[in-house]
Amino acid sequence: MQITGHLASSAGFVPPSTSDFNLPPIFGHSAYLTKPIALVFFSVILISAFFILASRKSAVVPSKLQYAGESIYSFVRKDLGEEIIGSGFLAYVPFLFTLFTFVLVNNVFGIIPFMQFPAMSHVSFPYVLAGFSYFIFHAIGVKRQGLIPYLKGIAFLPGVPKFAYILLTPIEIATYFLIRPVTLALRLFANMFAGHLLLLVFIGGGNYMLHDSHLLMKFLSPFSFSFGIIMTFFEFMVQCLQAYIITLLSALFIAGALAEEH
Amino acid sequence: MARNNEEGAVWSIMGYLISGLLIWGGIGYGLDNWLHTHYFLLGGLILGAGASIYLIWLRFGRE
Repeated sequence: MQITGHLASSAGFVPPSTSDFNLPPIFGHSAYLTKPIALVFFSVILISAFFILASRKSAVVPSKLQYAGESIYSFVRKDLGEEIIGSGFLAYVPFLFTLFTFVLVNNVFGIIPFMQFPAMSHVSFPYVLAGFSYFIFHAIGVKRQGLIPYLKGIAFLPGVPKFAYILLTPIEIATYFLIRPVTLALRLFANMFAGHLLLLVFIGGGNYMLHDSHLLMKFLSPFSFSFGIIMTFFEFMVQCLQAYIITLLSALFIAGALAEEH
Repeated sequence: MARNNEEGAVWSIMGYLISGLLIWGGIGYGLDNWLHTHYFLLGGLILGAGASIYLIWLRFGRE
């Protein structure tokens, strides 16, 4: 009773909101260099440097660095390329590999001290990535089958009574041209956004409780902090999983465009 | 390729369910707004869900 009364009387805890995602520009007033943008550029440099170093001196008995680089590469190549796309997968491995490492590194930035911001929690980044994937899988389909047969394959499922097309064609078209790219982007965005918010709640809440004048609140704040730590590990899992899923789905869309059997 | 089909099906099914509800529900909502009625939205949603399930059966359940 006392605690709630105390909480109500003080100015109170300000819960994190979407405004916490709009970080101020790093230099002056230029909106073109904010923390997420800086992190994205840094991730590109980091990934390039890592894989250039890892592949520079390729030896039969690999160094630790080479081994690390190769195991990530072979994971994408085998599990996402070969198994999903099948024959002719090699042409799409560079795209899948770039997508996977880029998303993975940017997601994991969300829990690395001093960075602690997943750029993908700004929806524009996932939209661009989904846009790439969207363009690529449609381009593959058009290139493989020609524009008209490809569109016909999407819109008109064979072996269906004619009247059913009225019902089904709008759904097929919406799925391929609207739902797929949007869900691809939103799934990544929402996971990163919610995860970051969750960490803000527990760590910000612990901080608030620790600085509260009430002694009981100080004693309870470690619970909030430790939950924040647990959630950080949980977030790490989600971050890796989401990087995997966006790449998996892109691979599945490419496989679908390659193998549309009509 | 077997894994491709199974795994692909899971994600495609979700996509079809969403778009079925969205498209036919949206058409129903539009008709309701246009004709000042209030039953096309419900009808559209049911129709969309049904059509999605039919489509999913056609795509993945036939063989």
